Order: sequence, then C-alpha cells, then structure tokens
Amino acid sequence: MRTAHAPEMDPRLAPPFPVAALPVLRNAQLRKNVMHATDVITAKRDRLVAEKADWQGLRDAGSAIRAHVLENLAAYLEQFEERCMAAGGVVHWATDAAEARTIILDILRQEQASEVIKIKTMTSAEIQLNPALEAAGIHAFETDLAELILQLGDDEPSHIVVPALHVNRSQVREIFARRMGLPDLADDPQTLTAAARTYLRKKFLSVPTAISGANFLIAETGGVSVVESEGNGRMCLTLPRTMITLAGIEKVLPRYRDLEVMLQVLARSATGERMSPYTSLWTGVTPGDGPQSFHVVLLDNGRSDILHRERERQTLKCIRCAACMNTCPVYRQTGGHAYGSVYPGPIGAILTPQLMKLEHAQSLPYASSLCGACYEVCPVKINIPEVLIDLRARVTDREREEQRRFFDPLYLGMRIANGVFASAWRLRAAQRMARIGLRLFTGRDGWIRRLPGFASRWTMTRDLRGVPDQSFRDWFAARENGHARTGEVKP
Amino acid sequence: MTVASESRQAVLQRIRSACAGSGAELTHDYAALPRPYLQHGAMDGEARLALMTERLREYDAEVVECAPDELPAAIAAQIARSGRHVLAAPPGLPQEWLAPGCEWRVDHGLTSDQLEQTEGVVTAATCGIADSGTIVLHHTDAEGRRALTLLPDWHLCVLRASQVVETLPEYFDRCATAPALFTMIAGPSATADIEMTRIKGVHGPRFLSVVLVRDDRQARPGADRTTLSTP
Repeated sequence: MRTAHAPEMDPRLAPPFPVAALPVLRNAQLRKNVMHATDVITAKRDRLVAEKADWQGLRDAGSAIRAHVLENLAAYLEQFEERCMAAGGVVHWATDAAEARTIILDILRQEQASEVIKIKTMTSAEIQLNPALEAAGIHAFETDLAELILQLGDDEPSHIVVPALHVNRSQVREIFARRMGLPDLADDPQTLTAAARTYLRKKFLSVPTAISGANFLIAETGGVSVVESEGNGRMCLTLPRTMITLAGIEKVLPRYRDLEVMLQVLARSATGERMSPYTSLWTGVTPGDGPQSFHVVLLDNGRSDILHRERERQTLKCIRCAACMNTCPVYRQTGGHAYGSVYPGPIGAILTPQLMKLEHAQSLPYASSLCGACYEVCPVKINIPEVLIDLRARVTDREREEQRRFFDPLYLGMRIANGVFASAWRLRAAQRMARIGLRLFTGRDGWIRRLPGFASRWTMTRDLRGVPDQSFRDWFAARENGHARTGEVKP
Repeated sequence: MTVASESRQAVLQRIRSACAGSGAELTHDYAALPRPYLQHGAMDGEARLALMTERLREYDAEVVECAPDELPAAIAAQIARSGRHVLAAPPGLPQEWLAPGCEWRVDHGLTSDQLEQTEGVVTAATCGIADSGTIVLHHTDAEGRRALTLLPDWHLCVLRASQVVETLPEYFDRCATAPALFTMIAGPSATADIEMTRIKGVHGPRFLSVVLVRDDRQARPGADRTTLSTP
C-alpha cells in the first residue's frame, strides 16, 4: 500500500517542478542527505577522472559510438535480435509501457510464477511494472539494497544510480526493523547490509524467475551486459530458471569491443570507481550455466519520437551514469522527487518531457540554471543545456499556439517587447517612460525592491536595478558632441 | 500478422522514418569512428604486476605471488591460512590444485544449495587488468559456471602474470572472438547505498584472494641449466 507521503512519480500526475520542490526545500534532513551523497560521489568521480589522462578522448569516442548507434538504430536492433535469437534468446518488441507490461506478465503466467526477483532497473519503474505485477498476484522482490529500502519503505527512487540516497541510516533501520520483524536492529550500515543479505538469500535460492534491465546490448553478438556492485545482479542472472531483460531500444552498442570505452567511462562517472565490482555479460542461453529460458523486451515508449529531432536525439546517447544530477546545482538542492519522474536531474529534465511527448512535465526544462555543469561531466557529451533551451522553445510554442494563451500577460509582454526592440525610437521612448514610471518604485539607493501587479512576480525573489538617468546611447551621443558628462551613472 | 510482429514493424518503421541510416554503410561508418584514447599502456612487466597487486589490495583482496612450480603449495597454503575445509572446484581445475586435506566438491552439476554449503571456491581466470585491478572470467572449464564464483563466501583465484594486461583495451585486443559469457570482478561485492558508506560483502563472495603466478620470470637456477649456461 502506498503511504500518503510517497511522492508522485508518474509525470502525468506529478505537480509542476516548482510546486513539487517546495516541500523538499523545507525538509532540512532530506537536503542534508542529498547534499552529503552527491558531495561524496562527485569528489570520488573527480579524483578518478583526473587520473585518466585520456578522459576527453574516451568522452569523444563514447559520444561518437552512441551517436552512430542512434543514426543506425534500426539496423543495429535487427542485428541484435537476430544474434540473440540465434543464441537461444527470445526477443519481444513493445511500442509502449502497457505492451511491455503485457509481454512480461504473459511470460510470467506461462511460467506460473507467483514471485519474481528483480535487479534494479529504472526502465521497469518507467513502465510502472511493480504495481502491474502486484495486481496480477505476482510478488516482486527488489534485490538491490537501495531498491529494497524503497520497496519496504513505500518510497520512490530519487536518483538513478543510488535511488535511496535521500534516506539516512536511522530511517533505514526503522524500515528494516518494522518490515523484517527485527526490533533490535542496530543502525550501522554494516548491520543493515547484513540484514538485507539474510533477508534476500532465501529468495535468490528459491525464486525461479527474474527481471533485469540492461546497461548495454551488443548488436554484434546478441549479448547483454549488466554493471553492478552488490552481486544481487549476478544472483538474478545466474540462479533462476527464467530471465526477462527489459531494455530501452537505445541501449545497443555496435560491437563487443565498444565496451572498452563504455566500461571505462561508466563506473568512473557513476560511482567514482575504476570499474564497478561486477560486470556481467551473457549471450542468449548457455547450456549448463544460468537461466535456460531468456527473454529480452525491447521498449520504445516514446523513444523513437525523440529520434526525429536531430538536436534532441542526443538525449538517447545517455548511459544512465547520473553524473549530471550529482553535479547539478538544482538537483543538489531538491533531490530527485521534485522531478516527478523516475529520471530526475538534468537528464530527466530533458528525457521525461520528451518521453511524454511534451504533453506532461512541461515545467522540467525550466528546472535548470543552464550553468552547463551537466554537459561538462557527461561521459557521452550530451549537450543538455542546448536540449533544455530547445525544449523550452517548444513548450512555449505549444502554450502559445495550442493552448491559445494569446492574452496571457507573459506573452502579451513578450510581444510588446518585440515591438519595442524592433525600432530605435520606440526603445528610446520606452526607456524614457520607464525612467519616469519606475521612479516611484526606486529606492534612494537606486534599487527597485517591489513592483506592483504582474511585475511583482519578478521582484518576489530578486531586486532590480533602477533605470539610470542616462542611457548608453544618450551618453555616447553626448560624448561624440564633445560635452560628455562623466561616464558614471549617477547613483 | 500477429500483434507481436506488428509492434516490431511499428517500432522499426518509426525509427527508420526518423533516421536515414541503412545497413549498407554501417561497416564503413563504424570504422571511421574516432578512438582517441589510450590503447596500450607503457608499463614494463614488473610495474604492471605491481599496479595489479596494488589495485587488488585497495579492494581488500589478498594477493600472494608464487613461481609456477610452487603453485599447488601456494594454493594449499592460502586455503590453510583461510581456515576453510569444504571447497568447491570447477570440473576443469587441474588435479594438482586440489589441496589434500580439504573436502573438495567438484562441480558436476552441484545444486545451488550444495554450492551455498561450501566455504569457498578455487578457480583459474582468463585475464587481469592492472589499471582497474579487474579479474576477467570467461567461465571456461577451469573457471567454472557463473554460480560457482558467486555463492561461496570466499573466492581463491589463480591468475598468471602472463594474463595480466595494463589497460582495458588491451584485454579486448586479446579477445579474438567475443565470449558468450564473462564476469569482470573488481573487488568483493560491495554497496554504498546507505549514506555512501562502503560496505563489503552484500551478496557475492565477501572475500577475494588472488594467487599471482610469476610465469613471466626466467626459470630459477637449477630448474633449467641449459638456458642459464648460454650467455
């Protein structure tokens, strides 16, 4: 059962970002948890990136490989499908979330599964798989420690690599004590981790069906790769009878060898490690080793629409390392829940609205200061600010044209500004009027602290410099005439 | 047409209408992709092995070195030091590696529960990558299937100096064909999910021990006199 305080992670239902961010900004504990976690990861990441003399070369290569894949996606997907099936896998195609859920439920019904163990997969959260499984009477056990904390605590992920970074040890202790029936549990991370190990061990050894995501699909071989730290992934990939991998269509790499770039940049960017403890690769079904029934579900769910726009296409280069959110000054204040989507942070701010075809989550492209830190750390060089600006333009166009907000004060003001800036005399007249009009609101120190009416939205959060007595053009004209006043604007 | 193949067509069609890319130019375009990163390291053998050892120790793995002819004794010594007796072994593990005095469970189809009851496992490896302290298993007969190096709590891995490369691209250079399975291990299972505190040993083996076989060194005096007598 969902508790009342659980954040809304369906972009169709979530409140706009500024509204959703408010409760977080007032929650000092949450902000402390998020700040601590992102500080630790970025410090580790920066140290390990600095030791890599060829880092920019790796980024260039990673970016080029991912862009090449997207330009030739259909061919690579067909190749992956053919090779995976030749190796004994079954490949399914899902146009949207509902179809992916149906495919997975059908496989589980055939297996007569009542329980399923899961490796952390944000894609399954994207299609809201767990509620669908629950409704079909199939209990899903999240096996990643962070996902387990969230599942037992009826909470939602706030980060794509460390989804429970907003929860601290005493909160974890409380959740585990309550849900695992361990009232005397201590709150040190070692003890809490051991409790999770014991809790899940039985499940690993007994549940015959598993669901995973994928970090990479290899077109050349039909192989699938998963990168993880805990070993819960290896358990799910190895011990069950049946394995289902849900992967976005963009996850393909051309060749096996391309892993030499991706694995070098992924762990460094994601967790600040040279390599993650475990990287697994498997190809279809291997007799005598691991699941003997293997399914891959290739999920579109809005991705192919993103391909249509050349500038926005780069969104799909993402390898989900989360470096952009760790470094983002906005994410670091609000954490992930404010984004109202399983994909938070800068990448979420461009991915979510596009997956929603801009019908929802229109506030997310504005959840950024456009400082560019995300672009700088991105291991595959996604120019997130560029896409953000493009999406803002599209959101604006939609609002203006489709929602006919013609007389909205904002758009009215923009149209007037357009007219004013179009001619010199109109600008001069407007400046003169503003100088007189704003004098009433300008303080003795030359600052405007509060404006009336609609304009108060500007001064609500910032002060405004008063209009100077002389414009630059006036000053310049006077100077040319040989009797310039001082270059200084009077205070 | 079934619903399934309709969806396949629909997705591929949508992708094709968005991008011009066709299969014909793939190989050419792919070959032209920039690769401006370090392919081969510049370290000599000793430095490479020292780095591998240092990285492994950073992950709290135990590392010992031995000469090729000392390997069975080195394995026996490591097992004795660990205080473990019930050990799993892949079917292709050399007979002389099975130290006497232990209860060996050779994997000819052990169940997960049987594996779970062992105290450790001894395997070979395919490759070591010094730059990141990574051990690569291709799950050959001497490395065992994937569950074998997962369920037991202690993994004793035999790595030969000649298998250690400096960079990840060097490993891929050595792979003439892609393996169907691999597991890359960079330290024992770990998590940092609670307050970013690194905790060792979540689900995988909690202890990793590596025997580094110095098959790169010249044979010791006495082992091969003919080589030594030649200037």
